[in-house]
Amino acid sequence: MANYLLRRSWQSLILLLLVSFIGFGVLHLAPGGPLSQFVPSAGMAQEDIDRITHQMGLDRSFAVQYLEWLRLMVSGDWGNSYRDGISVLSKIASHIRPTLELMVISTVLAALIGCGIGVWGAVRRYSVMDVLSSVGAMFALSIPTFWFGLMAIYFFALELSWFPVGSRTTIGDGSVPDILYHLVLPVSVLALVETAVWAQFMRSAMLEALQQDYIRTAKAKGLSERKVIWSHAIRNALLPMITLVGLQFPILLGGALVAETVFSWPGMGRLFMDSLEYRDYPVVMGILILSAIMTMLGSLIADILYVVADPRIRVN
Amino acid sequence: MTLLTTTSSIDDSLTKPPGFWTTFRRNRLAFLGLIIISTMVLLSFIGPIFNPYDPDYIDILNTLSAPLSAGHILGTDELGRDVLARLMFGGQISLGIGLAAMALSVILGTAVGMIAGYRGGIIGAVLMRLVDAVMAFPTIFLILALALLINPGIVSTTLLIAFTSWMSVARLVEGQFRSLRNAEYAAAARTMGVSEFRIMISELLPNAFGPIIVIATLNVARAILLESYVSYLGYGIQAPIASWGNMLNNSQLYLTSAPWLAILPGLAITLTVTSFNFIGEGLRSTLEPNR
Amino acid sequence: MDNFTKRSFLKLSASSAALAIAPGLITSSAFAAGKPDAPKGQVIAGLSQEPTVFHPLMPGKEVDRGVWWQLFSTLWFVDDKGTLVPDLAIEVPSVENGGLSEDGLSWKVKLRKDVTWHDGTPFTAQDVKFSLELINNPDFRAGSRIGHSLLKNITVVADDEIHWQTSEVFSPYISLLAQTFIVPKHILADLPDPNKSDFNMAPIGTGAFKWGKRSAGDHLLLEANKNYHGEGPFLERVVFKYIPDQTVQYTQFSSGEIDYIGLNGIQTAFEEDAKKLDGVTINAAPLAFIEYIALNLEFGPFKDLAVRQALYMGMNKQARIDIIYKGRPIGAESYVPRGHWAYKDDLPAHVYDSEGAKAILDKAGWIPGPDGVRVKDGMRLAFTTSTTVGSKSREQAQQFLQQNWAEIGAEMTINNMPGAVLWGDFWQKSQFDSVMVASTFVRGGDPDVTARFSKKAIPAKGGSGNNNYQYQDDEMEELLVAGTREYDQEKRKVIYHRIQEKVREELIFLPVQQSVIVEGTKEDLIGHTPNINSTSNAWNMRTWYWTT
Repeated sequence: MANYLLRRSWQSLILLLLVSFIGFGVLHLAPGGPLSQFVPSAGMAQEDIDRITHQMGLDRSFAVQYLEWLRLMVSGDWGNSYRDGISVLSKIASHIRPTLELMVISTVLAALIGCGIGVWGAVRRYSVMDVLSSVGAMFALSIPTFWFGLMAIYFFALELSWFPVGSRTTIGDGSVPDILYHLVLPVSVLALVETAVWAQFMRSAMLEALQQDYIRTAKAKGLSERKVIWSHAIRNALLPMITLVGLQFPILLGGALVAETVFSWPGMGRLFMDSLEYRDYPVVMGILILSAIMTMLGSLIADILYVVADPRIRVN
Repeated sequence: MTLLTTTSSIDDSLTKPPGFWTTFRRNRLAFLGLIIISTMVLLSFIGPIFNPYDPDYIDILNTLSAPLSAGHILGTDELGRDVLARLMFGGQISLGIGLAAMALSVILGTAVGMIAGYRGGIIGAVLMRLVDAVMAFPTIFLILALALLINPGIVSTTLLIAFTSWMSVARLVEGQFRSLRNAEYAAAARTMGVSEFRIMISELLPNAFGPIIVIATLNVARAILLESYVSYLGYGIQAPIASWGNMLNNSQLYLTSAPWLAILPGLAITLTVTSFNFIGEGLRSTLEPNR
Repeated sequence: MDNFTKRSFLKLSASSAALAIAPGLITSSAFAAGKPDAPKGQVIAGLSQEPTVFHPLMPGKEVDRGVWWQLFSTLWFVDDKGTLVPDLAIEVPSVENGGLSEDGLSWKVKLRKDVTWHDGTPFTAQDVKFSLELINNPDFRAGSRIGHSLLKNITVVADDEIHWQTSEVFSPYISLLAQTFIVPKHILADLPDPNKSDFNMAPIGTGAFKWGKRSAGDHLLLEANKNYHGEGPFLERVVFKYIPDQTVQYTQFSSGEIDYIGLNGIQTAFEEDAKKLDGVTINAAPLAFIEYIALNLEFGPFKDLAVRQALYMGMNKQARIDIIYKGRPIGAESYVPRGHWAYKDDLPAHVYDSEGAKAILDKAGWIPGPDGVRVKDGMRLAFTTSTTVGSKSREQAQQFLQQNWAEIGAEMTINNMPGAVLWGDFWQKSQFDSVMVASTFVRGGDPDVTARFSKKAIPAKGGSGNNNYQYQDDEMEELLVAGTREYDQEKRKVIYHRIQEKVREELIFLPVQQSVIVEGTKEDLIGHTPNINSTSNAWNMRTWYWTT
């Protein structure tokens, strides 16, 4: 196990290096720069732009800039935002909470509902409900998240006025009920897609579990179907589901970015979009690296949990 | 972000396939999907002949008219352009990008997968780590970052989507090739002096056709979805060219005054993407009944 | 008050042109009776961009400047009537009061003695000297050095008096100083790196409000400075709330969550609805922004004046203003905004006439080719027009324009790009054919446009300035120099009238419209005074107050 972990970590580091190189390359090859935003409004002259570009070191070669960035990164300094000078890490820290709220709540909801639907579908295979939920899941996976958000805003916020159009809090409020109230629409939108994924995975995991020998044995021994399903099949079917949490991470983060844009949610997605627009390279790089780290951690943790939870599997 | 990582299929029939078409037709949802796609294609490419309006013609005195009014079946947008005409031309763009991006991603993925799987060793490892690296970014983050590099447009949007969709194909082909490269017939061909390239293309690749076709179909769905995300966020297809995605880009401002501007293109996307997904799943249960 | 409620909105916007000269019907004195004795209540201002730069001498955008006005003070500022009002200085220097030498090269500025920084340290002439020197510090990322680079011999004569000289006469400097905020020497001197300090993230100024708390990506809170040297503040707190989505922003305004929609104002899509709201004041005010189509004068077809004239004549300006912009903006012929002292109001008015435009092109030898696009000497009348991706109204106007110009046989292709790309080398190095853009030409209220039209200001030719049009003309050169050498406003007026005539006759760019912003405040929030001469309509929040 320790060996395996070591090898995985080593591979991940190489991968991160590659990821950072790709990310840095993309950003620095892109035309335009962080100072362009000031040109139309402040009426800065070309000499001012050139001077500040030089002062910021942005006129150095790509290799020099990348190595400098990498050196600082390794020493734990992720750099400072070009926009407000705040360190990238504290900038991310101040935006990550609203995103986590969205992601965690929708995942928990989706996992609960999705697993329920999946179990039901597997047990009552080919029933009307099973077919409907499978078709529904496929449908949910095909709806553009942002459009679903727009529709939710149109019907539930604008037409019915049940929920707010966007934002995380009522200004000046920010109490828990207020945040929950603002969470309803974005969480529902995000959870819809996730629920579909969970239901599909759970259904196939459950189907597989139900075909295992010991389940047949249990049935043959005359255990009630209810008991077989609850005490044996579900427990076994849940095992592979653990990995899903880890593997779903990048998809969830992408979904959160879109949902945040539609619902004016002050999280990482908005920070990423704003930083891209202003060419705030340190922040964009920080978010890209962080999301890569979390993606890798997600799949690593999924693997470990899987091994820990199921002793039958031995890592080679 | 919907990545179609579904393992179960809608109808995993266990019967032995008597023939591709018979089996596929038995999958009603896939068949329905095929009908819907055909309709969409017909509407998008043939439909404009029957619709008198130019999708780009700005009728400034006739903005935001509701569907079924002022001679416009689906109403007009904020510049008085005919929504039906824009949906049809937008369909050409969105479907076109979907297919083109799919083709590119399959070609790129297959090429990388073939080389990595057949060669193995350092080249294979490097290529597959590259696959991992690209996959380590959430797709939408990667696409938006890449969008900075190029002027937004049809070609660049297609390239962006293709560049973020080839990895699953690469993994699949690599797996197939790795397991087959030492197969008897490959070894036999090699001793007969057949070139490596020929072996890859004509001996090994056909074995992966089934799964590739499935992924390709699902990739069309994914590409159409991605186009809509990127254009909605403003980094994709640019006005005046219509695409289903960029028609939604502006619609948020008019949600109360002209909700159809948001509803219609979204419906078109959802229907098309669902249909491709149905077809993909249908193909999967037909071509790979054991998966 | 009633003048400005929703009922009179229509009337207001209809006469917005007349309003330009006196947008501040609500002046501070007119409502003196209602002002509270101590700061009371808070104002939540909704902004569609996030203020992020707080060092007022570094490059900042409008949204940042809106915050600087609250935190910092200038030596003098321009009020809504265009008058220079002393702030940190006791009087605005002039030849008459002895602040300015006869030759215009020596300045003497007397300062107030009763000003303190937010941390209690007294403000002195040393701070002014430090600020001006900081701008010229080679290591400091100063936003712009225009004017400041001419300074020499800055001398502190006393704590409340400072002298300096300029290497040449440059009359616009007095206006530039009206936008130059003074920063504290005791905080910023002795920094190892002048660009990095805690000050950038929690600044200390002399303004009516002091730094409270910033929640990055969400809001910024400022608190009343009870020791403020001028009038006000009458509010305990000001919150700048960042709401990127215009729909959400408007919804929050209509539900009363935010008290003031600033910066971009109310979107045209919501204007109808806004007029029906109760308890709010909707205020349409012209800005100094001139929306125009910048032409690259070195680009083939645009070298020909006839082409520029035809394109101008072939543009349906009024329909664009009326329908896409809901009649809000004011048609413009000049780079100077209406109501400005230098504005020339008898420039030839734009006429939309496709046939006339065609006639001009025919006469100039531009003959329609087989595809309908005109050709002359093998050169097609085809070009691209660019603007930033995502500026909705401009994108719509652009598509409309494309249709207008197609009618006269000019093929315009839309080539939009993200702001960070457009305003990079593409614009700065004149790689464009034409660009739709809105600019303030009158920096700090001064009509000097040397940076825009001087042949020495063409970045693509190694010059320093913003003459991205690559305009070169000897008469213009003389006029520009004469304008900056003259302090007398009447004499300058003559010079700048001639410059405006030239710009209009030669169509250096195609002027379209002067932007009008529709802002909303709660009805019982008094004091919002649009100021065409300022970089932000939130310039005077220090005198805003609640009547309830």
